[in-house]
Amino acid sequence: MIDLIRDYGLILLFFVLPILFVLEPFFFSNAGSLNKKDEFSILKRKKILLYRQIKELEMEYDIGNINNRDFVQMRDKLKQEVSEVISKLNK
Amino acid sequence: MTPVAGGSALSLSFGFSLLTVITLLIYTKNQDYRLFLVGQRLALGVSFFIFIATFILSYQLIISNFDIDYVARYTSIETPTIYKISALWAGQSGSLLFWLFILSIFSTITIIQNQNKHHELMPWVIISLTITQMFFLILTNYVTNPFKPTEADFIVTNGNGLNPLLQNITMAIHPPTLYLGYVGFSVPFAFAISALVNRDTSPLWIQSIRRWVLVAWLFLSMGIILGGWWAYQELGWGGYWAWDPVENASFMPWLTATAFLHSIIIQEKKDMLRLWNMVLIILTFTLCIFGTFLTRSGVMSSVHSFTESSLGPIFLSFVFLILIASFGIMYIRLDDLKSPRKIESFTSRESGFLFNNMVFVVLCFAVFWGTLFPVISEAVRGIKITVGAPFFNQINTPIGLILLALTGVGPLLAWRRTGAKNLIRNFTFPIISGFVAAIFFIIIGYKGYAVISFSLCVFVTVSIMTEFSQGIRARTNKFKESVFIALVKMISKNRSRYGGYIVHVGIVLMFVGFTGHAFDREKEFSLQIGQVDHVAGYEFELINLSESERPNHYAWISELRVSDNQGRFITNLYPEKRVYFHKNPDINRRQPHSELDIYSTLNKDIYSIFSSIDNEKGIAFLKIMINPLVKWVWIGGYVLVFGTVIALWPRKEK
Repeated sequence: MIDLIRDYGLILLFFVLPILFVLEPFFFSNAGSLNKKDEFSILKRKKILLYRQIKELEMEYDIGNINNRDFVQMRDKLKQEVSEVISKLNK
Repeated sequence: MTPVAGGSALSLSFGFSLLTVITLLIYTKNQDYRLFLVGQRLALGVSFFIFIATFILSYQLIISNFDIDYVARYTSIETPTIYKISALWAGQSGSLLFWLFILSIFSTITIIQNQNKHHELMPWVIISLTITQMFFLILTNYVTNPFKPTEADFIVTNGNGLNPLLQNITMAIHPPTLYLGYVGFSVPFAFAISALVNRDTSPLWIQSIRRWVLVAWLFLSMGIILGGWWAYQELGWGGYWAWDPVENASFMPWLTATAFLHSIIIQEKKDMLRLWNMVLIILTFTLCIFGTFLTRSGVMSSVHSFTESSLGPIFLSFVFLILIASFGIMYIRLDDLKSPRKIESFTSRESGFLFNNMVFVVLCFAVFWGTLFPVISEAVRGIKITVGAPFFNQINTPIGLILLALTGVGPLLAWRRTGAKNLIRNFTFPIISGFVAAIFFIIIGYKGYAVISFSLCVFVTVSIMTEFSQGIRARTNKFKESVFIALVKMISKNRSRYGGYIVHVGIVLMFVGFTGHAFDREKEFSLQIGQVDHVAGYEFELINLSESERPNHYAWISELRVSDNQGRFITNLYPEKRVYFHKNPDINRRQPHSELDIYSTLNKDIYSIFSSIDNEKGIAFLKIMINPLVKWVWIGGYVLVFGTVIALWPRKEK
């Protein structure tokens, strides 16, 4: 009896459950893609990256590693990029 | 029945891996999202079956089921349980299964972590990871199966037992740590391949893998340091690094990974070095596989043993497949890898990083050449010419010192360009400190590389301190914070930057330890009870010799009283001479082993080895080594880990 339970248990573990788990999306999910959601998350990550770069730039300036002309030029460029990303996100 | 289940799990895993790749390839063509989900789940299935196989083998090792060849060869009834478990990675087939096990953990984490993001990248990420799994599944299913039953002509009574050198707690931790590092680079590599296929070579994919790279690098570093610690504690030759091919196998990917870790900062911040980063991650992953090939194929002992085993050629083919496929895709995508920006000035942090990258790669090539030279010479000329530690030390010491100098130069350079005023302001104090230190060390009698290394250590430390003090000053001026609050906030808000600097401090401390090697002293002598001998100003008296029978070995224990040249007591040392498997009736199967004892201080280590014993006359043959500054290597290791953990610590994005 124990042998029988073990054998069926193994069959269940090795074949039935994995196959059900793998094939489930065919029965319960819709075809299509999540690309729109993906684009949104890419833009959000881009925004975070740009904000981080602005903060680091400000720190470099405070330390005295960047001169005023370079700082203003680089910060303006980054700010412009952020505003473009934000406007895309708002759309 | 259970071993059969283990073998079946591996076979099913291989089947699932094939289905995963096929399903996801179809998905990339028809974009039916259900296929992506199915592929994702198939990949999870691959890992699931590998988990089952690993747990089954571990269980068989614990219960000493000698019907399995692997269990009989690497454990015995007396083997302590912890070492029965560590036997999982002691032999070839088990270690390959263990590789797969770790890869499956990483693969599962990657899939679950990215369930709702990176939908463009994930199919190819999963395909790359699964192809790597497939390769190891082919090995474990068809070349060296860990569930192979014990052969009829292999007489098993008690099991062969685990090599005594591996019966050490560090050795139980070192291989998994190293493997976590090796395997960890599979994930950034998979993202890199996917980014190439998808033409997404912007800094964003770099951002996704930065944490993975750091984790893998941390484990690889820890694995290498633990390996050195184990060699120092266990092998009894008094050193921690011998430029052995197995050590070099782990060091080479570490070098390229360290270069990569630096250059991705440039891509993340400046969108430069896209192509270079691809090259570095491909090289790092290939070197990880190549390292496993070096240790597992038998190629280093002889090219003939390489061709005799089927494992070597398969491994080498996979290495070439990775290189051809990766660089092939890279070549096709060359246009996408052109960085929109260029380095503007030689005196910029970007160029400092690039130069440090070049030096890392040159160092890696030097190690690669020295490691493979014996194999190449044997293959080409039929004579094996071995290059030992002197070759590596001669070539790599100056390169290592250049890297140490760059560790100090990098932080002093500004992004984009460093003006003359800033150059003078940033470099003056560290350079003067370095020069003063050099003069001091020359006056006290140090020479050659030791002077250069110690002075560079001072230069780098001062340069890092300058960076910290400038940051603190900027915060105290801007936010009116106290120095302590400014320090904490500065690190907390710039974890990767200041974590990196702490790692650099760790590297400096390690260099202090490496340099101490130039002052090592050693002596071999024999003593009877009551006799004394002297080494480097220390007196060693043999107080006692005793014997002890323990569960898995028999030991002779010597008791040495150590005092300084004025007779002041320092410590007692208890090095042992052991015989493992002492109950085995076959004398050839008994394994002698010297268990050393070390008295360690910040200044120096007193390292004692009980080489052999003359039982009839009661003579102990001993070797004593005085190793200055070794402890700083391990302290540097702790600091390195601490700094990496700070860099890794997640932060909340507001």
